[in-house]
Amino acid sequence: MIWLLRDIDLLTVLLRGATLAFEALLLGGVAYLSAVARPARASAAVEDFSRRGIRMASLGLVASEVAALLASGALLMSGSDLTFKDVMTTSFFRADSFAILFAIAVWICARLRTNKATVAMLPLGLLLLAASVSTSHAAARIDHRFFLTILTAAHHLGTAAWIGAMPYLWISLGRVEGVDEARRLTERYSQMALLGAVTLASAGIGMAWFYVGTWSGLYTTAYGIMLVAKVFLFLAMIALGAGNWFLVRRLANNPEPLLVRLRRVVEAEICIGFLVVLTAASLTAQAPGVDVTAQERLTSREIYVRMHPERPRMSSPPVTALAPPSSLEEAVKDSQFVPTVGSDDTDRAWSEYNHHWAGLIVLIAGLLALLSRHRAMRWARFWPLSFAGLAVFILLRADPENWPLGPRPFWQSFAAPDVLQHRFGALLIVVFAAFECAVQAGKLKARWATYVFPAMCAVGAAMLLTHEHSAKDVKEALLAEMSHTPIALLGITAACSRWLELRLPRSRVATIAGYFWPLCLALVGMILLNYRELA
Amino acid sequence: MRRDTWIDIRRFVAVVAACGIALFAPVMAFAHAVLVESRPGVNSIVSGPEVVVVLKYSSRVDPRHSTLTLLDPDGKVQKVSIEGEPTPGLLSAKLAGLGKGAYVLRWQVLAMDGHITRGKVPFQVK
Repeated sequence: MIWLLRDIDLLTVLLRGATLAFEALLLGGVAYLSAVARPARASAAVEDFSRRGIRMASLGLVASEVAALLASGALLMSGSDLTFKDVMTTSFFRADSFAILFAIAVWICARLRTNKATVAMLPLGLLLLAASVSTSHAAARIDHRFFLTILTAAHHLGTAAWIGAMPYLWISLGRVEGVDEARRLTERYSQMALLGAVTLASAGIGMAWFYVGTWSGLYTTAYGIMLVAKVFLFLAMIALGAGNWFLVRRLANNPEPLLVRLRRVVEAEICIGFLVVLTAASLTAQAPGVDVTAQERLTSREIYVRMHPERPRMSSPPVTALAPPSSLEEAVKDSQFVPTVGSDDTDRAWSEYNHHWAGLIVLIAGLLALLSRHRAMRWARFWPLSFAGLAVFILLRADPENWPLGPRPFWQSFAAPDVLQHRFGALLIVVFAAFECAVQAGKLKARWATYVFPAMCAVGAAMLLTHEHSAKDVKEALLAEMSHTPIALLGITAACSRWLELRLPRSRVATIAGYFWPLCLALVGMILLNYRELA
Repeated sequence: MRRDTWIDIRRFVAVVAACGIALFAPVMAFAHAVLVESRPGVNSIVSGPEVVVVLKYSSRVDPRHSTLTLLDPDGKVQKVSIEGEPTPGLLSAKLAGLGKGAYVLRWQVLAMDGHITRGKVPFQVK
């Protein structure tokens, strides 16, 4: 029960992320149908698909909203004597219930297929947006509440028009009856996406002004660091989107190959787009930077002391010197109110050693992958083997209080969220190493098998972007986040560049992408080699 | 260029599933309504037996659905009734009959954006 209550806290944030993603898909679908597919006289198949997509997004939104309501209700009741009847009188219950009703109404309209029903989806979508925004940061602000609510609504709308509508374009391009239809759709979508991106960015800048407050807030608070990550992903999307913009202009001259290229780049853009939504979900779990007190902010000096390059630690303290572990139940119970995990210098030296060896392995893997591109160095293509060693290393050393190094039993220790995350990570790495080795050796020729590497990179990066850093004080957690966030961003870049290398037809862009991801791996290794927990 | 409908639905599901996987990764615990200031202060020493509690948060909170509990030196937990939210983001309460010793005031607030935050204010009565 303790474990469950502790994790409901996490679950409610995750469900917020799911509702944001489905909301973007639903509103994006309505925007695509109304502003792209119908005005561009799309074929019945494309229009039909758009409606089906809207229905699926509506159902997804209803499911995630219901789950979010139940989880938030359970969380609220767990720390008080409130009953479910009391929960029903809360503002979030009202807002989420309205969102569910509007999503069901949009589902019905998407099913009816009449002109009136299609037009009705627009006001219903806006009402849904209003319900969603009423549970955003803006709703709880003490000052500038109205203005921030407008900016948040604009931010959501921009996201829907650009990112939410993108999967619809991608699938439409595979269903069009001719190149002319594809060109009409992409041109109209490009205009809508441009407007969406401008709206999203303008509203985002306005919100950052109020929520971060100062330039230093961008690197001294968790909110600021996540915001910088979001801006990086946004710029990556802009770069891909700009490439697509020019491709669309050239579609008339050389349609077939360019259309394939366009679809492949859109795939990468969709991946980054929804990672931006994930980062936004992480941001909703953070207190705005402007609210963070001076004592809980990092100083430039603290950042320099921790981040400046130093020689890696390649020798480990003995396991017997580590702080004795408390009982599992006690540790989880305590974390309900203040999530603290005590650690001394020996524990930190232990962790640094783990990170530095992991960094060395990843650096070697990246360099080998880079070398393997030369004909004379084909042996280096077995670089994924080094990752198997990394998985064993994580399993043995990441959580020394558990089996085989510590007293806590192996299976029981899965109850601790941190341990679960580490073991899941180790399993992912083993799966990845096995697949990628078989792919590189040419033993596994199936197309899907080649996608395991980029998929693992994207999932790993997503996990890292949202990883919970349990530390004794806020600053330690912040410093850990500061070093983990660039790794997540490099992971996403590696995933997208490998994806483009695999999916794009033979071209200069594909070749460049092929050099990009090994470089990202090597950079991840270098960041890990400089990871420190001791000042 | 026209494809089979089933294949396209599968692709859409794949996109949605990929988003799902990305979104269902563990995320940081809530930290929305930040306790900006409190009376009694964290680890402060106050005079009893009556202590006025004022908690100032960074965002608007719902006093009807927020909870205060007091852990006394004997380890007993008692509910503290919230008197109201005199100004947005401010919760007030009164503690009576406090003897000498160490107390912990635990709070759980529901912010107006629907987020729940928990924390504690340890203090001593002289």
